[in-house]
Parts: sequence; structure tokens; C-alpha cells
Amino acid sequence: MRNAETEADDVLLRRVARGDEESFAVLYRRYQAAMYRFALRMTGHPWAAEEIVQEVFMTLIGTPKKFDATRGTLGGFLYGITRNKVLKHLERSPREISLEEKAEDGSGAGIVLQDGVTPATIAETAERRRRVRAAVLDLPADFREAVILCDLEEMSYEDAARVAECPIGTIRSRLHRGRVLLMAQLEILRESPRRMSAAVSEGSVR
Amino acid sequence: MKCEEFESTILDLDRAGRVSELEKSAAQAHLNSCGRCASLQESWQGARGELAFFAQETQMARAPARVEMRLRQEFRLQRRTTAPRKIAGVTVWALAAAAAVVAVISWMNWKNEHVSIARRDAPRAGAVAQPSVQENAAGKVKVAPYPLADASDESNALLADNELGGFTVLPGAGPLDTDEGSILRVQMQRGTLSAYGLPVNEERAAEWIQVDLLVGDDGIPQAVRLPN
Repeated sequence: MRNAETEADDVLLRRVARGDEESFAVLYRRYQAAMYRFALRMTGHPWAAEEIVQEVFMTLIGTPKKFDATRGTLGGFLYGITRNKVLKHLERSPREISLEEKAEDGSGAGIVLQDGVTPATIAETAERRRRVRAAVLDLPADFREAVILCDLEEMSYEDAARVAECPIGTIRSRLHRGRVLLMAQLEILRESPRRMSAAVSEGSVR
Repeated sequence: MKCEEFESTILDLDRAGRVSELEKSAAQAHLNSCGRCASLQESWQGARGELAFFAQETQMARAPARVEMRLRQEFRLQRRTTAPRKIAGVTVWALAAAAAVVAVISWMNWKNEHVSIARRDAPRAGAVAQPSVQENAAGKVKVAPYPLADASDESNALLADNELGGFTVLPGAGPLDTDEGSILRVQMQRGTLSAYGLPVNEERAAEWIQVDLLVGDDGIPQAVRLPN
């Protein structure tokens, strides 16, 4: 008997369609972290990311045959669903910045610093975290998506374009503008070349 | 390299395989000569550091275990609802198929029965009518036990058309001379004829009919006819 952990996605998906719960669990564990990270980075809210991941995999449970292996990878397929859910979430939710991550029970910070640190460094790190997260979340959704996919998820332009359902040139352009806006948000844009200024002013109009 | 080209190249500088060594050295040469692009590069390095911090901070983020639990529950629930639905579907189709088969078999039986009844009735009309009573020259009734004429002959029909003719010999009765016999007109259900050994159409067995019985000296009916 073959180990389900090493089985190909489409094999597992066929089993899911036949009602094999363990195959579904393997697929879930294989992709949940990436989808959750993407949703978390895009929305800034752990609860929203959790809800989105749940909806994404519910879609997979409901229509496992919707995935066509000839049209791409299961990862790309799931990223596509996640993206749509994220955009829907962003449409209906006011732009908010979650300043604090809660643990699963809602009691405390979800991120634990591993080094021995002083309160000053904790405060400094917290401030830095808030600033970066705010800068990323303040980007327009299209630019944020390009920055997250290309710079944080380290996807190739081709994969990012597939997820964002746009041409590679568009992804590059969004990435460029997103980076410039990000630098402006982080107040580290020391010089504003002509094109940069144009990108910043265009982005800030949104 | 111009500033616009550098701004475009800077996107891919840290992407393996995207920028050739030639482009990299051209970009480096431009950086050394252009303070504005050098500043931009520095800004980007700073932003990259912040992004890396953000990435690292969220790198280990995972959906809580409760999500998997909920999804598994949902998976089981869907299986529980789809499996009985499938079984119900199969059952319905099986019942429908069985009903169709029963209907076809019933229809075939009904049809066969009709054909056999028709076949049985057709020769009966002839066969029963054949051993008819013949009128002799003296005006007496003579009953012959065996066919005397063609079944298509109207005079040999089961329904007698006159007082003396049209008698059908009952099975077991011998050749009969009607000199000593008498004719009794009675009413009976058609099914009763079967008691005399005559074939009867079961579907019409309950009908009341008038029958003429030719009764011998011993009081036993020897022949029968249907006057009307």
C-alpha cells in the first residue's frame, strides 16, 4: 500500500471525490499553510484568513472534480479560489489594520519571540511589525497581491500572473508600483525619481 | 544604462535567472554614476528588509487545528448525505426497472392469454358445433357425437336457430336418438356448462343464459343447445 503523504495531488483528489477522508486530510495539510499565509497577509486578520481557508477547502470538498489537472497545479487552483475569497472579503470589509495577533484561544500574542529580549526590544519589534503590516495592508489590493505573491511568497512572475489572472507584464507593473508605494509608506523612499513619484501619486489616489 | 532601465531592472535584480550578468554589471555601473538610482536602490534594500521581517513573522502561520476539525466534520456530513442519496437513487431506479419488467411480463401474459382464449374459442366454436344434432326426414332430432360438417357451416353453430337442430352432444354421451328424449329449457350461468364437460369462456362464466337440454329417458341430459 502506498503512502498517501507522497501521492500526487490528482490521485488524492480522485480519492476525495470517492469519499476518502484521509486523502482530503493529506491535501489539506499540504496546502493549508500557504493559503492561510496568503489570506493572512492579504487581509491582515487571522480570523478572516481562517474563514477564507475554511471556505476554500469547503469548495474543494463540494466540487473536487472542478479541478482540471491539465490546466495547472492544485496549488494554483487553490490560490485562485483563495484570491477570489480574499477579494470578496476586502470588498465587503472596511480597511482595518489588525494590530495584534491573538492566539487560538484569543488570549495573547500569536507570535512568540524566540530570543531573550528586553521590553524595549519587544516594543521596538512590535512597532516595526505594526508599521510593516500597516504599510503592506495599506497598499491597493492589486499591488498588495503582486508584492505578496512575488516578494513574500517568492512566486515566479508566471505563477503569480496565473493566480492573479492577468498577464505577466501586468504583474511586473503592479509589483513595481507596489514596491514604490511600500517604500513611501515605510518612509524610506529617500529619493523620488520621476516614475516613482508618478507611481506613488497614482497609488495614493486609489 | 538609463535611469528608467535601471528602475525596470531593479525589479529583477534579486530574482535568479531573470537578469544576465551583463545587465547586472551595467546596473552596477549605473549605480556608481547615478546618485538618485543609488538612493533608490538603498531604499529598496531597506524595504526588502522590512518585507523580509514581515515574511518571517508570518512564515510559520498556520490555520488553527479547529479548521481541519470542522472541515473533516463537514466532509463526513457530506458523505453521510450523499451516500444515502446515491443509495436512494439506485433504489428508485431499481424499483422503476422492476416495475417496468413486471409491467412488460403482465402485458405479455395478458396478451398470451387473449391469444390462447381466442385460439381456444375459435376451434371450440367449430368443434362444439360439429357434433350437432341433425334433423332427419321424419322431423325428429338426431344427435351425432362426431363432427358431421364444416365448422364454418352456420347450421352447425353453437347457437341453435331452431327448435330441433343445434344440439351439442355432451361429452360422454353416446349416439342419441331423440325419439324418447325431451327438451327442457332452463336458465343457468354459463359457467355451469363446464360441469357438463363443455369448455367455457371464464370471463363470461357468470353470465346467465338460456339453455335447451335434451334429456334422455333416464333423466340425464344428453345434449345441449343455446336457443338464443
